[in-house]
Formats: sequence, structure tokens, C-alpha cells
Amino acid sequence: MSVTSFDLQRTAFMDAKRNMAKERQPREGGTRQMEEMDLESVIECARGHDGEALGELYRRYVRRVFGLCRYMLESRESAEDATSEVFLKLQRSIESYDRSIPFPRWLLRVAGNQCIDALRRRQRGRRAIVEVEDGAAVIEAPSSEPSPLGAVISKEERAKVRDTIARLPDNYRVPLVLRYYSELSYDEIAQQLDLERNYVAALIFRAKQELRRRLPHRST
Amino acid sequence: MQCYSEQTCALAVDGELAADEAQRLRDHLTTCQRCRALVDALRAENRVLSESLNELPEEAASPAGFSPRRWSWGWGDLAILAAVLALGSIIFGWFNELDIPAALEWFNPFSVSGRTNLIFHFFYYFGHGGTAMLADYAAVVGWICLLLLLGGSALLLGRRGRPHYPGLRLLIVLLALSLPSFALERRHGDFVTVAANETVDDTLLAAANMVRVDGVVNGDLLTFGRTVEVRGTVKGDLISFAQRTEVSGTVEGHIYTVSHTLDLEGQLGHSLYGLLQSLQIDDRGRVGDGIVVAVGDVSLEGEVKRSVDILTSGRADVSGSIGRDLTMVGSSLLLTNTARVGGNLSARVRQLKEVHIADGATIGGTRDIQVTVRESHFTRPRFYFHQAVWLAGAILMGWLGMLLFPGFFQATTQLVGSGWHSLGLGVGILVGVPVAIVVIAITLVGFPLSLMLLALYLAAIYLAKIWVGAFLGRILLKPSGATKGDWLLGLLIGLLLLTIVGFIPYLGGLLRLGVVCLGLGAFACQLYRASRPVM
Repeated sequence: MSVTSFDLQRTAFMDAKRNMAKERQPREGGTRQMEEMDLESVIECARGHDGEALGELYRRYVRRVFGLCRYMLESRESAEDATSEVFLKLQRSIESYDRSIPFPRWLLRVAGNQCIDALRRRQRGRRAIVEVEDGAAVIEAPSSEPSPLGAVISKEERAKVRDTIARLPDNYRVPLVLRYYSELSYDEIAQQLDLERNYVAALIFRAKQELRRRLPHRST
Repeated sequence: MQCYSEQTCALAVDGELAADEAQRLRDHLTTCQRCRALVDALRAENRVLSESLNELPEEAASPAGFSPRRWSWGWGDLAILAAVLALGSIIFGWFNELDIPAALEWFNPFSVSGRTNLIFHFFYYFGHGGTAMLADYAAVVGWICLLLLLGGSALLLGRRGRPHYPGLRLLIVLLALSLPSFALERRHGDFVTVAANETVDDTLLAAANMVRVDGVVNGDLLTFGRTVEVRGTVKGDLISFAQRTEVSGTVEGHIYTVSHTLDLEGQLGHSLYGLLQSLQIDDRGRVGDGIVVAVGDVSLEGEVKRSVDILTSGRADVSGSIGRDLTMVGSSLLLTNTARVGGNLSARVRQLKEVHIADGATIGGTRDIQVTVRESHFTRPRFYFHQAVWLAGAILMGWLGMLLFPGFFQATTQLVGSGWHSLGLGVGILVGVPVAIVVIAITLVGFPLSLMLLALYLAAIYLAKIWVGAFLGRILLKPSGATKGDWLLGLLIGLLLLTIVGFIPYLGGLLRLGVVCLGLGAFACQLYRASRPVM
């Protein structure tokens, strides 16, 4: 039963995806309309399980969601899987979206949860994403720590920063990405990771220090 | 007033400082140059982080995958492959399009004779429980290959799934280039002959419809062809890949062959190793060393100096002389009056009445004839022990795979569910890959490639059951989550089921074949998907 319902959902999702592909060359007015509709109305339609509206949401946010998954997870493969999961779940969970926060942010939160679940599954339920040693929350930077990253402007340098972030260990990378890509607050991150806010602050702080250490030839 | 710590400043920049404290910091900043500089730097850093992260890497541009970028490494490697092949064909100018089909017509599934051959072989093979044999073989060799592959890949993929493809490519190219460093003479055509008065000093590589050696080859003879005849002398080894290999002259080294039939009427200095449909050693045939063959039918009328080991699916007729032991596993054994075995005779046959030892036959050592009845498998504890070992091995392999490539293994398991699609692809691969291996190997430059492919092929055949088993287990268990534990439990149950079902007479063989194809298909599909670039 569970398999079947999952398949059905997947099929619905695939339909949305297929529609999307079709809609690359818009022929009908309806599609156009959907593209021009404001987010509110699209969400409203999507709540009514309108496949086209769901497709539109997919089209608008898939890149952003996939980006998050890609930063959070270790391979493109798992990022694609997580992205699919997020949009599959969206069909059900969109009803629970209460408009208290902007939709993109809400969606990224959902996606973040999905990724954290995936990471935890991979770690076999260990809370390996967040292993903070005692006292980490109150750590102060030694004076010898490298100074903050300067204005990195060139495309290559940005790519290098990205690459270095991607190579950070999970417990540094995940909060960093949630903070600066998903733009979640420390509280939201703490909630997602099931951690104290102080720990999140410490992790982000240390992540940045680690990043500086790993990017030695930066422009200052 | 004392300055603020960097962490506090960082909190402030992130907007995470409590309002009153933030106010105090702001006040402090108006007076403190050092802290102001720090806060500015931290702010700039945050901007760098946001900008860098938000500028998604190009591969993220189209996750559902319409982007041409996702092909990049696939194409890159295809390019390398093409370059290696092109290089190979330049180096070996003898190699041209027209000649491969002629030489390999009998093996080409797209030609009439090739197809007939293939169908015939397929049914023969299938009718003689070949699937089980293949699976058993793959279980042993596949295991080894797999361990090597997994070890190698783990090394390569060790760093957070970031394989060093350039290194790998370099390795492939180097391997490919380093190979043809030995002296080699190449001949090709419809009909390749070494005339009676001719001597080839090097190793001779011949690819032709008909290869005939009347003269002398001082090195090894490496042949691919429909018919290979050695009437003259080969001083080295004969390595033949042919429909029919006939040696009426002399081979001073060994014979390694994969042939439909091998007729030995002449002299062989050392041993014969072969995978054959039929082996005939004429009464003039002499083997200086031993014979190790897996063969359909064998007839041994000549003389073998040392031991003979035969794994046969049909008859083994011995009327000649064997210097040492004769060991055979098969369905029927006949020793005529003239037969002579210097050492021990040991035979494993299905029915005792299939063993005929004439009164005149001499056996120097002991006679050990045992009946291996298929049904009796189930009554022997050893059988269960073997199955348990096999199962444990498979589970261990699954666990290793899950540990090293969790995403890949789970995705492959899921792909098994695509049913006919995987099955069809699997059948294609099961048949196609050996052809590809031969075609790649024939270029010689591609030889290491073909070896890798062969290792991968055997490993995949072995793994096929694991994926299908895991899939079955998942269907049956309908587990809540996709944790490793669930996956392994599912695997155990699925494999148990597959093993039991595999023992159903006739149908079991078909099912095993289906399982291998399904698994292969899913694997290939997943391999294709996974070969898209990672960030």
C-alpha cells in the first residue's frame, strides 16, 4: 500500500515535471497565465492540488532548492533525490504553509529538514551533524586566528569559496549553508538541527574560522 | 571600555545579538576604531559567503537534468576512449573496419552465422545449467574483482565523493600506451597464412577468417578467427580465440583457448587450458604437460604426460594415456580398453551407470568415483554450509557497498523496480559486453580497458543478485525507512528467497538468468546516471 501511494505521488510529480518540460514552448494561454501569476495565487492554486500550479512552483524554486540540497549533501545523486522528495512532499505539506514567513524561506526550511534527515539517515541516526565539544559555545577566538575573508570578488574566487565550503565537515557546512544560503536565523537553525542556539552560534563561528584557515591565498 | 570579542561581533553582524547588547556594541563602535574595522570585515565576509553560495555552480542550473553540462565527464571519458582507440588504430595500421567482421563473423550477433551460433550456444549453455555455473564462477571471480574495484574506488572516491577523474584518465591512457611495448607482428585479412618456408621471428597477432600456420612462429601466436590451423610450429604459446582451432603441427609452449572446438593432432609442449565446446585429442596428439579444461564433450585418444582435469557438461571419452591423475566432473565417463591412467582416477558423475571403465583399462592409482546427485544437495550439510557462506559473503558485500556507496546502492535497488526496462537492458549487457570486451581487446591498445571491463562485468553479475535481493526484500518488508539496517535485512530476506527459488528445477535457472539480467540492467542504468558530474 505504501509503495503504491508513493508511486502515485511520484507519478503526479512526474506529470508536473513533464508539464514543465512541455511548457518550455508555451502554446496555450493557460500556461502563460500561470507564469505571470503572482506567487500568492499560484500557492492558492497549488493548495487545491492544481498540477499546473505545483509545476509552476517547481519551475520557480527548483533551482534554489536543489542548490541547498547540493550544498548539504555529498553527491549530485542524493541532492537530486532530496529535491524530488521536497517537491513530492510539497504536494501534501503545502496545506500546512501558513504564510507567516515568505514562501521561499518556508520551502528552504522544508528542504533543509529533508537534507538533515538524509544526512542523519546516512549517519545511522547518530547525531553526527552536530558534534560540539564541551565549551564550544563559549569559545573565544585566539588572537592568532586569521582575519575575516576580505572582499572576494572574482568569479573564480567565489567558486573557490563554494568549493571549500562544500569540503567542510558536516557539522560546519550544514549550519553555514543554512545561515548564508537559506538565510535562516540562528533560532531556526537550532530548531532544525535540534541544538542549543549557542551551539549553532559556535558552530557557525568555528566554521568561518575553518574556512579562513582553508582559504589561505585569499585577497585581503 | 573593553573591546568586544570577535564572536560577539560576529553575532551582531548576523543580527543575532540581543537588542540591548547590540545597542551597547553600536555605542562602542563609535569610539573604537579596532572593533569597527572588525565588524566591517565580518560584514564583508558574510557578503562573500552569501554571494558565493547564492551563485550556484553551473551544474545546479538544471537539477532535473536537461543541461548539457551533466554530460561533461561522460563525454570526456568517451573522448579519452575514442582517443585511445584512434591512437591504437593509428599505431596498428593493420586494423581496419572491413576486417573485424570477417574475422569475428561467427561471434557477431548481428550476422546470420553469428546469431545462429549465439542462439545455439545460448540454448546449449542454458540446457546444461550454465547459468548456475556462470553465477558460481562470477561469485568467486566477481568477489575478487569486486574487492579490487571497491578498494580502488574507495581510494579514488575517498575524499567526499570527489574522484580525481583526471588521474584516472591519465592512468587509463598510460596503461593503454604502455602495453604495446613488446615486439609484435600483426597480420589481418580474410586469410592469413604463414607459408611452409616462412619464419616469423616475433609474436604473431593474426585476425582473420582463416588463420593457417604452415611455417614457423618463433614467438607466441595470438589469433582471433573462425578457423585457426597450426600445421607448422609455434615456439611460444598459442592463444586462440576461434570457432575452430586445429593443431596438427607443434606448439612448444602452452595453449590457451576459448574455442568452439579444438582438435589436437600434433604436439603440445606444455599444458592446455581451455574453455571449449568440444575437445578432441587425436591418437597422434601429444601433450607434454597437463590439461585443464571446461568443455562440453571431450575425447582423449592421444597421450598426456601429466594430469588431466576436466569439467564437462557432456561426455568424457578416454582411450589414450594419461601420465598422472584424471579428474573429471561431468555427466558421463568412458574409459576404453586402451585407456591408461598413471595416477588416480577420480570422477564425479550424476549417475553411476554413466561411468564405463573397460576391463582392459589400466589405472595406476586409486579409483574414486562418486555420484553427485543434484537432489542430494539438499541432504548434505555441506550444501547448506556453502549456501550460508555464499549468503554471508553477499550480505557482507552488500554491507560494504552500502557503507562505501550508500546512495548508489539504494538507487540501484530502486531501479530494479523498473522491471522490463532493466531486464531488457540487462539482457543487452549480458550479451553485448562480452562482444565489446573482445572487440576492445582485439585492438590490443584497448587490452587493459577490456580487462577492466571484464572485471566490472563479472563483478556486476555477482552484484546483480544483491540488488535484486534487496529490492525483493524491500517489497516484502515494506520497511518504514530506508535505513541501512532495513536495507540489509531486506537483502537477507530477498537473497534467501532468490536462493530457494533458484533451486526449482528448470524454472530456477531461468529465474536466475532473469535476476542477473535485472540486476545488470539496473546497475548499468545507475552507473550511467551516476557518471554525471559531481560538483
